[in-house]
Amino acid sequence: MRRVVVTGIGIISPLGIGSKAHWEALLAGTVGIRRISTFDPAGFPCQIAGEAPPFKIGDFVPRAYRKATKVMARDIELAIVAADDAFKDAGLQSPAYTDKPNFNGTRFGCNIGAGLINTELNELTAAMTTARSESERNRLDLTRWGKDGMTQLTPLWLLKYLPNMLACHVTIIHQLKGPSNTITCADASSHLAIGEAFRTIQRGSADLAICGGAESKVNEMGMMRHGLLKRLTESHNDSPTDAVRPFDEDATGTALAEGGGLLILEEYESAKSRGAKIYAELVGFAASQDTYKITDPDPTGRSYARAITGALRDASLTPDDVSLMIPNGLGIPTADRAELAALKTVFGSRLPDVPISLTKAQTGSLAAGSGVDAGTAVLSTSAGKIPPSVNTIKPVETRLNVSKESRDAAVDVCISSVYSLGGQNAALVFRRM
Amino acid sequence: MFNSILNAERNRMNRVVITGMGWVTPMGHSIESVWQRLIAGDSGISKTTLFDAATFPTSISAEVKDYRLSDFIPELGPHAGAGRNTQFALGACRQAWSAAGLDKAKLDLDRVGIYLGSGEGSIDFEAYTTAALSAWKNETSAIDVVKWAEVALERMNDVRELEQEPNMPLSHLALLTGAGGPAFNCLTACAASTQAIGEATEILRRGDADVMIGGGAHSMIHPFGVTGFNRLTALSTANENPARASRPFDAQRAGFVLGEGAGMVILETLDHARARNAPILAEIVGYGSTADAFRITDQHPEGEGAIAAMTEALAHAGLTPKDIDYVNAHGTGTRENDGNETGAIKAVFGDCARGCPVSSIKSMMGHLIAAAGAVELICCVLAIRDNILPPTMNLEHSDPECDLDYVPNKARKAKINVAMSNSFGFGGQNDTIIVRRFAQ
Repeated sequence: MRRVVVTGIGIISPLGIGSKAHWEALLAGTVGIRRISTFDPAGFPCQIAGEAPPFKIGDFVPRAYRKATKVMARDIELAIVAADDAFKDAGLQSPAYTDKPNFNGTRFGCNIGAGLINTELNELTAAMTTARSESERNRLDLTRWGKDGMTQLTPLWLLKYLPNMLACHVTIIHQLKGPSNTITCADASSHLAIGEAFRTIQRGSADLAICGGAESKVNEMGMMRHGLLKRLTESHNDSPTDAVRPFDEDATGTALAEGGGLLILEEYESAKSRGAKIYAELVGFAASQDTYKITDPDPTGRSYARAITGALRDASLTPDDVSLMIPNGLGIPTADRAELAALKTVFGSRLPDVPISLTKAQTGSLAAGSGVDAGTAVLSTSAGKIPPSVNTIKPVETRLNVSKESRDAAVDVCISSVYSLGGQNAALVFRRM
Repeated sequence: MFNSILNAERNRMNRVVITGMGWVTPMGHSIESVWQRLIAGDSGISKTTLFDAATFPTSISAEVKDYRLSDFIPELGPHAGAGRNTQFALGACRQAWSAAGLDKAKLDLDRVGIYLGSGEGSIDFEAYTTAALSAWKNETSAIDVVKWAEVALERMNDVRELEQEPNMPLSHLALLTGAGGPAFNCLTACAASTQAIGEATEILRRGDADVMIGGGAHSMIHPFGVTGFNRLTALSTANENPARASRPFDAQRAGFVLGEGAGMVILETLDHARARNAPILAEIVGYGSTADAFRITDQHPEGEGAIAAMTEALAHAGLTPKDIDYVNAHGTGTRENDGNETGAIKAVFGDCARGCPVSSIKSMMGHLIAAAGAVELICCVLAIRDNILPPTMNLEHSDPECDLDYVPNKARKAKINVAMSNSFGFGGQNDTIIVRRFAQ
């Protein structure tokens, strides 16, 4: 079986643009959650979120591709920014930057997780106002809409919002022609995408892949959906830095965020031969599915635990080998308890000894952008650092190995694991080279 | 050289067979009844009834008709609030599961996985449009978000919103079957369910599961779905003659017809299927997946990505073009696709191209978008089973660009041992699967 290593990390998160900025802010304990600025959140019970720092998408695409930025939803932009960071970090000269690329695009896969992309409300509503019903002004008259209302929308309107457009734009910009996929399993999307890309390289369908995911839920519909599902904290509008409290007794819900996290995976021999900087080896992956309820995780964490133990088995490792665990840790009390139950199943009585980093306290809930967590796991492994858990002050389990400050430690084996609303679970195991 | 190494590696991996199939389509909801109608050259396309599309540029579609989930699942339980796409997925899965003779009690459910290529659900139209229009401020030409939130909080419903997420069909199938193994949903537009079945096959080959449910479900026959495709001018506007509107490979083709539905197959390692004496319908022998990396709006004009996908699938199967007895084309009926696909088939098949029948069932059933590939793969398996090819209907005017044997207008008996199914997604994701008659 071919070995697969990580040679590049691309991140945009509420903590910064670029994996270095993200990593430094994470270690410093910075919290990226604030009152929402992109729209007036006053009408929402939860008014805080993790917004990415401002950027101009035109700065991240080749000049010839700037026109295409007009048909990009925010989610697509986040993927492009993360991809740019990943390629540069990996020292890969893609056709976006040079006439003489240093890789073979036909052997380069792209596997980017995405969410349900929300239409920009203003754009669609501006068109809809031309087709109001005469009798009920707040109803859309389909007869008028079909006749000429819809022509107010740009012809390419649909293409802004197709989830596969994250991968499609990235493959076009960087000329990647190998296997390309778009996983849409909410919070589990990135990890499933990385796991699948790992397999494509192992089996020889590609030599390199860019993989992970990106999403923004910091928009009206995203906030509304998760608010209706009672997943968001409603008690920290005035104290956003304390809002997300994973595995903490005072947890009251999560905060949404936006971001993108993409890894460059590379076949080991190929990475060595081009003298690439190798961050870590990806040694294990597994996925599983809950069969409990659509809206709630299985409180026993049974199925989620199987993803973690399966990934360790895939890596020929045991729970005793784990030096750092980065769980999903959203700060939603029922979900956190289910996740802790899974961790207890995996680690048993050793759980209090396993260092845990609960980074969503700083980033917020990244949904399909949770590839950021995978990037954090890789950075922890290569740097020998354990990121902090800034808001886990009174752990639900009295004995959890968490720290408010970042710590130095040899991180030989790091797991990043996630679950989705809907019950998909996935875990990745990274090992120090 | 590389391919021979690859093949040697793959020979050590599990063989993967199809042991059950099910579908919910615009032409019916059972394998046999729909297949008979396809062979008869019927059409599932008619006037759109799901909403008032009378003034839309396109007012026809291929709707699933007379479908009741309770016919398949008497106790709806957790599926009561399922969206339209998920209801199709559940019905198709129940059929496939029963046909495969699977029994929860006799399975290691942790080794049963699901890989779907399902689309998003339909927007909650009344709530969405009312909230938006109520909150529009002419003075600022923008939504008053505070007002919007107030109306949306009152009108929108948590379950109806959640059910729009593209992973919901997958989550519901897990509850239906108890499958707790690897679970994925991919959404690569029109290639999604072909890619899902291809990747599910790879999971089984590697041994990460014993059984995988593969397929897809989608419905975009709603006002904003049709709006999106109409704005792209991708749909046929031949509203007066629905049955003749979808014309793949015909010189007068002018766009596809939107369909909806689901297709599901039970995939199994050969060892697992044998051990339980399962009915083996066909073997999946090849899968290729590539990206055009060309444009989001257009396919590569020389079909570069499509050629690479077909070539890779052949290499993985250890087959050459002369071994392929039938190609089930993506064949959407758009000007662009059918010419490019023809060119790509010719590039891959060379001298064998003209001797290989190619057909598109989209001429009868419309385009099921994310679900199209699964439904078309099922047709390939049935073509092998019955040694008969479904026709390409409405092929009346020859186009010099489309000069292959498209099985025009009438089904044809032919010995079919190996069939190839193509699916190409908007944005340039291309997938090809090859299925073969099962032989020990």
